[in-house]
Amino acid sequence: MKRPGEDRTGLYVLIALMVGGGFALDVATHVGLEVWVLYFIPLIVSLFTTRPIAPVAIGVMCASLVVAGYVLSPAAPVEGVAQISQVNRALGSVALIGLGFVGRQLIATKVRLAVQDWVNEGRVLLSERMRGERNVHDLGRSVLSTLAEYVGAQVGSIYVANKGGNLMRASGYGLDAPLDGKANFVAPGQTLVGQVAANASILVVYDVPDGYIDVRSGTGAAKPRALVLAPTDADGAVNGVIELGFFTPPSAAMNALLTSAAAPVGIAIRSAQYRERLADLLEEAQRQAEELEVQQRELKITNEELEERGHALKQSHVELEETNRQLEEQARALEMQKDQLSSAQGVLRKKAAEVERASRYKSEFLANMSHELRTPLNSALILAKLLIDNKQGNLTREQIQFATNIYTAGNDLLTLINDILDLSKIEAGKLDLTFESVDLARLFAASKQRFEPLAREKKLELVVTIDPGGPVRMESDSVRLKQVITNLLSNAVKFTEQGSVTLRGSAGPRGDVLISVEDTGVGIPADQHHLIFEAFKQADGTPNRKYGGTGLGLSICRELVDLLGGEIRVKSAPGEGSTFTVLLPSRPNQSEPTRGTTGTGAEKPNGHQRADVSLAPVEDDRAALTPGSRVVLVVEDDRVFATILRDLAHELRFQCVIAGSAGEALELVRHLKPAAIILDMGLPDHSGLTVLDLVKRDASARHIPIHVVSVHDYQQVAREMGAVGYALKPVKREQLVVAFDRFEEQIARKARSVLVVEDDATQREAITKLLGNDGVAITSAPNAEEALAKLDGETFDCVVLDLMLPGTSGFELLDQMAKSDKPSLPPVIVYTARGLSLEEEQRLRRHARSIIIKGARSPERLLEEVTLFLHQVAADLPEDKLRMLREALDRETVFTGRRILIVEDDIRNIFALTSALEPKGAIIDVARNGKEALCRIEAERPDIVLMDIMMPEMDGLTATREIRKRGRSSSLPIIALTAKAMPDDRQQCLDAGANDYIAKPIDVEKLVSLCRVWMPR
Amino acid sequence: MNATNESQDVELDLLLEGVFRMYHYDFRQYVRSSLRRRVHQALLALKHTSITSLLDRILHDPRAFAQFLPHMTIQVSDMFRDPSYWLALRKRVVPHLSTYPFPRVWIAGCGAGEEAYSMAILLAEEGLLARAQIYATDISVESLAEAKAGAYQLDRVRSFSDNYFESGGKASLSDYYVTTSSRACFVPALRERILFADHCLATDTAFAEVQLVSCRNVLIYFDRTLQDRAVGVFCDALSPRGFLGLGDKETLRFSAHMKAFEPFVAEEKIYRKGERAT
Repeated sequence: MKRPGEDRTGLYVLIALMVGGGFALDVATHVGLEVWVLYFIPLIVSLFTTRPIAPVAIGVMCASLVVAGYVLSPAAPVEGVAQISQVNRALGSVALIGLGFVGRQLIATKVRLAVQDWVNEGRVLLSERMRGERNVHDLGRSVLSTLAEYVGAQVGSIYVANKGGNLMRASGYGLDAPLDGKANFVAPGQTLVGQVAANASILVVYDVPDGYIDVRSGTGAAKPRALVLAPTDADGAVNGVIELGFFTPPSAAMNALLTSAAAPVGIAIRSAQYRERLADLLEEAQRQAEELEVQQRELKITNEELEERGHALKQSHVELEETNRQLEEQARALEMQKDQLSSAQGVLRKKAAEVERASRYKSEFLANMSHELRTPLNSALILAKLLIDNKQGNLTREQIQFATNIYTAGNDLLTLINDILDLSKIEAGKLDLTFESVDLARLFAASKQRFEPLAREKKLELVVTIDPGGPVRMESDSVRLKQVITNLLSNAVKFTEQGSVTLRGSAGPRGDVLISVEDTGVGIPADQHHLIFEAFKQADGTPNRKYGGTGLGLSICRELVDLLGGEIRVKSAPGEGSTFTVLLPSRPNQSEPTRGTTGTGAEKPNGHQRADVSLAPVEDDRAALTPGSRVVLVVEDDRVFATILRDLAHELRFQCVIAGSAGEALELVRHLKPAAIILDMGLPDHSGLTVLDLVKRDASARHIPIHVVSVHDYQQVAREMGAVGYALKPVKREQLVVAFDRFEEQIARKARSVLVVEDDATQREAITKLLGNDGVAITSAPNAEEALAKLDGETFDCVVLDLMLPGTSGFELLDQMAKSDKPSLPPVIVYTARGLSLEEEQRLRRHARSIIIKGARSPERLLEEVTLFLHQVAADLPEDKLRMLREALDRETVFTGRRILIVEDDIRNIFALTSALEPKGAIIDVARNGKEALCRIEAERPDIVLMDIMMPEMDGLTATREIRKRGRSSSLPIIALTAKAMPDDRQQCLDAGANDYIAKPIDVEKLVSLCRVWMPR
Repeated sequence: MNATNESQDVELDLLLEGVFRMYHYDFRQYVRSSLRRRVHQALLALKHTSITSLLDRILHDPRAFAQFLPHMTIQVSDMFRDPSYWLALRKRVVPHLSTYPFPRVWIAGCGAGEEAYSMAILLAEEGLLARAQIYATDISVESLAEAKAGAYQLDRVRSFSDNYFESGGKASLSDYYVTTSSRACFVPALRERILFADHCLATDTAFAEVQLVSCRNVLIYFDRTLQDRAVGVFCDALSPRGFLGLGDKETLRFSAHMKAFEPFVAEEKIYRKGERAT
């Protein structure tokens, strides 16, 4: 492309030659020959140059040459010619100069037009190149290349303003700089580019210094000579800058071109930006549409889940009502039983009173009787003694011997009568105790003194000692205590042939006093230990027994020790001697009932005392609970015991919260969800059993292990209600530590264990699969023996038991489990294929928590029950397991109560379909042809239709089309039953409006699948 | 407001960087607007008030990440979604595939496997499955596990069936599944020809030469750079004159690789690799 204003030097040379030639000719010819006219030729030629000054200059030069030619030319041969020539030359000069000026005007106009043409052509070219949907980068590139080629620039770049007003390099031309460099970002007003944008005017820079962009080619690099920076604008707002670099100085025409290109390029840039933005927005909108779809789908799923939950809730509500009703019934039955019980109680009470009266009569009678007996016996004894003395000396040896016998026998009789009297006194409640300070050493000394002679006689060693640090004094009834010691010593001496008898006093636990009598006598077999304390019994009950005596001594001892608030124990084995130990409180226990005074042994309620201590709550950790710590809830109103428990809890790294009443306890269970509970039974507001029951009925709390501590023995009831342990007060520290250890174990043991007792390997595996998940460890045993061994070895949370076992049956296994002395037996679920008689069921009920008869639906119930007994908190179950459980419960609810219409004329097919679908719980209707089907659909409103195609009267296709035409049933799922005969059967069915099809002969599994899929929810 | 936006942007960057460094899931070049919405949803679902606290939890608790990830890779599909696309594949593309001795198909971003099974069914009905290999890849290992199971909720199967028939299915979809009480499980024979693998379009490269890439509604979540990268990977994987199928909302128009492909079935966004493209 040629730029306007470029001159052709040849032209000037030509002009110079012509002027020179003309001048030479003019000088050579004489005046008058008007050769100077030739000067007009170069002048006219000069019009073809592009410099407006050229014709003027040539005109003036020629004019001066005309004058010079006149002077230098030889004179004219003819006179007068000189004057004419002068005039001619003068006119010629003026004409030349005038023509020069006209020429200047002409050239100026021509040049301007050429520039304009060039600019216009450039714009047209540019707009041609900018056409088409381009992005900014492409657009910039084509603008740059077009401009650079058109104006002859060697290097260039284009900057485009972004949203923030900053200029970014969009494209480059012949540039040796990457597009994404730092230099490509220009803030408005900064650098020349920014300045141009800010001023909105073209800037030309000459003599570009070092460090500017180089123009590079394969062989070298050079700096551009000049830079032109031009803004582009759209509607007056600058939106870009074009920078071009030149080796030659740029022309003014280029400025014009850049100025006039500013608007179209600017608008093109703006549209490209709009387009890009539009594309972005479109993409964004589509993305949002996709995401919306995702969210909609999620929402749908959530909705469905909610619906499902609502459904389940309704279901459980119904069940609840049912349970309520049953409970009411049970309550009524209980009331009746209670009535019966209280009337029975009345009868019993009356009987008891009678018995008591009779017993009192008996005791009184015995007391009176023995008194009456003792009086004559005394006289008899005295008389016998007199006879033995034989003061007169008139009796033979034999007669004296008889009298001695009478005396001995009488003495024995007297002892017996005294014993009976004592015993009956105690039983009749007529024995009064007098507590006083007893000096143990003195008591022992007296006893020693008494039995020393007897022992010496039998050559026995009698040792009486009090341990160092042992008790010195105690509060007791000295007479009765002495009687006990005497009885025991007397027995010991009586039954010991050789060796020693030891009476020892020592300190027992909790400040009690231990008095033991040890002998090296015959000893008592273990199975008779319980007999020796019974009245009138001796260990050796045979007729030819070796030792005399009434056998009342030990029973009197026991009764007396009981009265004194202590207990008596025996340790003995045949041939190894015996040790009788009496444990007595060092001071009488006020709270302990004294049978001597109350007679019945009923416990005195001591709530009054407790109410006093529970006034001030015991300080606990409720204010300082740390998350994740193990919290044990102590439900105890006894301040002292609660404190002990709290300290023990702290020692074993539990945090402890103390509740003084049942109400508070339940509140705390609900809010704190403690890891374990220690529960007292006697609480001021409710019984501990109520707390136990309510906690175990709360699904979210029932997994919390509860250990019961009580003075009452409710062990059986509490265990049945789900307590993990039971301890009778007074409780030893060791027992409590064991309880805490068990808590620890339960908390730590995440995996619950189930024992499956089942002889059939396949069944065993099936159950294992059914129940197994991450949190449940399953152990299995094929027979009862192995099951018992496993139950011995480890603790299970639940046992699933088949009744039909080889060898020991399930029944027997249950009985043996019940008999075992394990502290807590796991709940047992009997899972059996065997039909049970009513008796059998009742027998099972005693030990088993639930009974499941194997059948189609039983796996779900088993899963349900086991989950229940595993005490797994619902939230702890893995989500998929929960879903599975829910799905298992939903099994075939797809079919239950749903109506399926079978449209089929072949009776065998009807039968096959019915027998496949009816057991699933579906209600089956049958139509024998299309017409019938339409009526049925109107009448029965089926949920799904199975449509045969080939039928009399109206075929399946027509019927399907008819159904689809009717508005109400247009969405009714229809599954076509096609014969495989025709290849296009399928398409016809679908075209007619069937949702799916199944080919005959019908695969039942597949049909069920199809029904499941298409059955409306 | 601007400051909040900016700080949120910084938080988002840190989150994405953290996730990438810790778990090697690269979401850094996903479209911002979409990421912001997803992270926002994750915040709601995981009960966090700031992205930073979420990041803190994710970095220290892999289980929290497992909960977080599904929010980022959320993707839904149906079997034979957009039946016309599948019909076009069946009628126009499969005849070309059948000329290869061992046609290989890549389902990129297979999600829960719906498309992979659809493809297997389509190829089975066209008699190609026995000699074909389907690669089904996804970024999410959880999704892949679900895909391998090939068991879908029963109520979804109805729309699957409708789509199947519309896409020119030759039998009944029930030929390919068996049902349990809650799910329809697709038969193992289909799975035999599908290779499930985890593959990240942001970081991984092509792994095999395939004749058809079907990548639907995945690119839409990527920014331009990542889109270009992904299409580049597809371009590398495709044999000469191979096919690329995109989602109905996606296009190659602004892609750097636009010139490498020519529209094949333009209205279904099925492109064919150009002759001169490498």
